[in-house]
Amino acid sequence: MGRKAKDILVKSIIYLATGITLSVLLFIIGFIFVKGIGAINWNFISRDYNEKVFYAFVENSSVPLTIEPKVMENKTTYDKKYETPLEAPVYVENIGAAITKVQYKYYSTDREQFIFSYIEKNSPFQNAVQSNGAPVDIGTDYILQSVNGTDLTGLSTNDVKTLINDQTGQLKLKVISPGGGIKSNIITTLYMILLSLAVALPIGIFGAIYLTEYAKAGKVVNTIRFATECLAGIPSIVFGLFGMAFFVVALNFQISLLSGSLTVAIILLPVIIRSTEEALKTVPMAFRQGSLALGATKLQTIFKVILPCAVPGIATAVLLSVGRVIGESAALLLTAGTVAQIPGTLLSPGSTLTVQAYYVAKEEGNIELACAIGIVIIVIVIILNILSRIASDKLDVFNKK
Amino acid sequence: MDSKLKFNIKDLDLFYGDFQALKNINMKICEKEVTAFIGPSGCGKSTFLRCLNRMNDLIDSVKIKGEIIFDGQDINGDIDVINLRTRVGMVFQSPNPFPMSIYENVAYGPKCQGLKDKTKLDTIVKDSLERAALWDEVKDRLNKSALGLSGGQQQRLCIARTIAMDPEVILMDEPTSALDPIATAKIEDLMQSLKKLYTIIIVTHSMQQAGRISDKTAFFLMGEIVEFDDTHKIFTNPDDKRTEDYITGRFG
Amino acid sequence: MEAIKLKKLKKLKKLKEKIIENFFLICALVAVISVLAITFFVFYNGLKPFVTNSYPFWNFISGVEWRPGSNMYGIFYMIVGSVFATTGAILIGVPIAIFTAVFIAEMASSQIGKVIRFAVELLAGIPSVLYGVFGLGIIVPYVLKISPKAQGESLLATILVLAIMILPTVISISETSIGAVPKAYREGSYALGASKIQTIFKVVIPAARSGIMTGVILGIGRAIGETIAVMLVCGNPIAGIPTSLFDQIRPLTTNIALEMGYASGVHQQLLYSTGVVLFVFIMIINVIVNKLVKVRVDS
Repeated sequence: MGRKAKDILVKSIIYLATGITLSVLLFIIGFIFVKGIGAINWNFISRDYNEKVFYAFVENSSVPLTIEPKVMENKTTYDKKYETPLEAPVYVENIGAAITKVQYKYYSTDREQFIFSYIEKNSPFQNAVQSNGAPVDIGTDYILQSVNGTDLTGLSTNDVKTLINDQTGQLKLKVISPGGGIKSNIITTLYMILLSLAVALPIGIFGAIYLTEYAKAGKVVNTIRFATECLAGIPSIVFGLFGMAFFVVALNFQISLLSGSLTVAIILLPVIIRSTEEALKTVPMAFRQGSLALGATKLQTIFKVILPCAVPGIATAVLLSVGRVIGESAALLLTAGTVAQIPGTLLSPGSTLTVQAYYVAKEEGNIELACAIGIVIIVIVIILNILSRIASDKLDVFNKK
Repeated sequence: MDSKLKFNIKDLDLFYGDFQALKNINMKICEKEVTAFIGPSGCGKSTFLRCLNRMNDLIDSVKIKGEIIFDGQDINGDIDVINLRTRVGMVFQSPNPFPMSIYENVAYGPKCQGLKDKTKLDTIVKDSLERAALWDEVKDRLNKSALGLSGGQQQRLCIARTIAMDPEVILMDEPTSALDPIATAKIEDLMQSLKKLYTIIIVTHSMQQAGRISDKTAFFLMGEIVEFDDTHKIFTNPDDKRTEDYITGRFG
Repeated sequence: MEAIKLKKLKKLKKLKEKIIENFFLICALVAVISVLAITFFVFYNGLKPFVTNSYPFWNFISGVEWRPGSNMYGIFYMIVGSVFATTGAILIGVPIAIFTAVFIAEMASSQIGKVIRFAVELLAGIPSVLYGVFGLGIIVPYVLKISPKAQGESLLATILVLAIMILPTVISISETSIGAVPKAYREGSYALGASKIQTIFKVVIPAARSGIMTGVILGIGRAIGETIAVMLVCGNPIAGIPTSLFDQIRPLTTNIALEMGYASGVHQQLLYSTGVVLFVFIMIINVIVNKLVKVRVDS
C-alpha cells in the first residue's frame, strides 16, 4: 500500500477512535439524562426512599375551601406515572384538605390508597403533632390510612368524608409519608464525605509533610511510597472485604456509617498523599530557606509558610477525594449497607447515592430511578470538576508570580 | 565561477503573528558550496534557514510572503513538502537522534520512503555512516541505542541519517554550538568533504567557524541581509560598516 | 540559673520538634500499616478454610460450580470469566484509547483538544455504577437482540462496559506521555521527509512507550477489579465456563459482592478466599506487565 494511502487509512482510524470515545460519553450522559429526567423534581430530592408510617394528631376544625371547587378538583399533585385517580377529589372541611382515591401501581406494589391532593393554608395539618407532642409534617401526596382507628381500605371517598365529619375532638390519623426520594442518600453521602475526609485529610497531609520535609532517602521512605502505590492499586471490593473483616467484625462497628467512612478513608489516603506531596514540592526551596534563616523552627516554617502556599494543591486533593467518595460503591456496599435511611448514629447503616442507584437497578430493575440518581451524581461531578479547575488555575497563578 | 543556482530567494518576508522577523530577503545560493549565515542572536538566520525546507510550517503563527525558487519551483507555493524535505535535509543545533538503534536511526528516512530491501538498506547505512566519518566508531554496535553515543558522535549520526536520504542540500542550524572543540573540529573537517557532494548552508554563531569553512557568507541583522558575498571579502574588506563592526567584535 | 533555664527550654523545644516529627512519621506509616492490615485480614480469612481443611483447595480452585447449598465452591469458571472479560476489554478499549490520545496530542487544534480532554475528564468522573446502569439499560437489551440465547446479560455486555470504563484512564495517561515526547524528535523526523502519521507512529509512540504501558496496566487493573458495573450486566450464573461471547459470566469480584451480605461460616471464608485469588491475580499481572515494560525499554 502506498505511503499516502496508508496515511489516509491510519488518519481515518484515528478519527474513528476519537469519534467512538466522544459518542460513548454522549450516549452515557444522554441515556442517563433522558431516562432519569422524568423522575427529577423537588419531591425526589426532599423525600426519603422508604415510606414512613406515623400517627398524627390533628385538631378537628372547620376550614372553608378558599379556591374554586373546579380548581381543587384539578389539583393533581400526585405522581401521574404511578397513581391514577379512581374517584373525584372530595374536600373535607374538618381537616381543610381534599382527599382523592387513587390506584397506586409501582413495580410490585399495586394498591388503592387515599391521598391528600390539596391542603388549605389554614388547615389544622399545620399544627399536627405526633404522640410525643413533637410537630410533624403532613403534605400533599401523603397517604391517609386510618382515622381514629378505623381503617379506610375499601371505603369510597365520600365514606371517608363522612367518617371524618362524624368525629369530634382530636383526630388520630394514620399517615404514610411517600417515599421514592433520595434525601436520605444525599445526607448519608454528605456524612460519608465529611467523616472520611476528617480522618484521611489530616493523616494524608501530615504523612505527605513527612515525606517531603523530613524524610531522607532510604528504606523507610521507599517502603512508604511503595505502600502508597499498592493502596492505589487495590480494587475497591478488596477494601470492602478488609472493611468487613476489620471494622465491621473485628472492631464490631457493625455495618455502619463508621465502618464505611473508615474504609473509604483508607482508599483516599493515596490520593491525598500524592496530591499534597505534589503541592508541597512546588513550594520553592527559597521560601523554606528564607524562613529558617529568620530563625523560625522547621515546624513554624511548615505551618506558616509552606502549607499556606500548598493550599491550592490541597484543595485539589480535597476535590479529588470528594469525587472519589461519591463514586465509591463496592466497598460501601459491604461496609455501610443498602438501607436507605439517614444514619442516626455513627453505628447505623446507610446507603450513599451510588449504592442506592446500584440497589434500585439490581434489586428492583428500576432503571429510571437509578438514572435519576445518576443525574444528581453527574451534576455534582461536573460542579466538582469546575471547582477543581478553578483551584488549579489559582495554583498556576501562584506559580507564574 | 558562477556555478549552478540552487536557491533563488526573492523578496521574502516572514511574520510571527504581527512581528516581522525577516524583511525583504533576496539571495542566490549556488550549488556544491558552503554558504554561512552569521549575525547576532535573534537576527533571523535560523528562521530563514528553516524556510528553506518549510520547517516553519510547524509553527502556527508564521506567515510568509515572497518566493523561494528551488530548482525552478517556488517552494512557498502548493508543493509536496515531504518530497522537498527528502531533497533538503537539516541538522539541528542539539543532536536529536531517535531513541532507537544506530542502524534504525540512519535507516529511518529511507524506510519512511518505502524502502524495505534489507541489503539496500544495509548499503545505505554503511555509506552514510562512512561519509559522516562515523562508520569506524560504530560499525560493531549498529544495534545499540543511539543515545549511548557521545555528543559529537550523535551529531555525526544525525548528519549520517540526513545523508542517507541522498539530499541535494544540507541545512545546518548551529550544528557545533553544543559540542566541545574536538568534536567541533571533526565536524568542520567533515563539512569540507561533504561540500563536494552536497550544497551546504550553515547558520553559525562563530565567525571563526564561518571564516574557516564557508565559501560565501551572509551577514544578517534584525531580519535583513546586510551583506552577502565571498567569505574572504566579508571578513577582510566588507562593504558595509555594520558588517565591519560585527566582524571586529564591536557588538555581538 | 538563667543559663540552665535556657538549656532546659532548648531541650524541651527540641523534644517537642522530635515528637511532632515522629507524629508525622506515624501518619505516613498509616499507609504501610493499612496495606499490611489489608493483606493480613484478607489472607487470614481467606486461607483459613484451606488450612483448617474445611474445604479442599484443589476443589476450590478448579471447581466449575458455585453452589453454597450443596457445599460446592468452585471458582475456576469465575477465573476464566474474569480473564476473558478483562482481555476482551483491553483488546477493544486500549486501541481506541491510544488512537484518541494521538488525536488529542498530535492532531487536534488546541480548541478541539480542550473540548475532548474535558469530555475524557467527565467520563473519568462518572462513577462505575452509572456505567453499569448504562450497560443494563442500553447494552444488555441490544445484546439480547443479537444473542442466540435468550439473555442480554453476558460476557459480551461485560466486555463492552469494561472497555468503555478503561477509556478515560488509558487516554489521559497516553496523552500525557505522548505530549511529553521532546519536540526535537518530531522535528528530526519531519526534516527527514517523514509524514505526520509516520512521525507519530514510528517515532513519537515508541518514545512514549513506557508511559502508555503504564496506562494500559492501570486499565487492566481497573477492568479486573471492577465490581459494581459488572454486577449489573454479567448475569452471575452459578456454573459454567464461558465458551461464547453470549454466555453469562460471574467474575471473581461479583462473587464476593453478591453473597457477602448474607454468607457465614465456611461460605463467607471462601468469599475471602475469592478475594485472595483476585489479589494474587492482580499482583501477577502487575509483575508480568512491569517486566514486559522493563524488557522493551531496555532493548
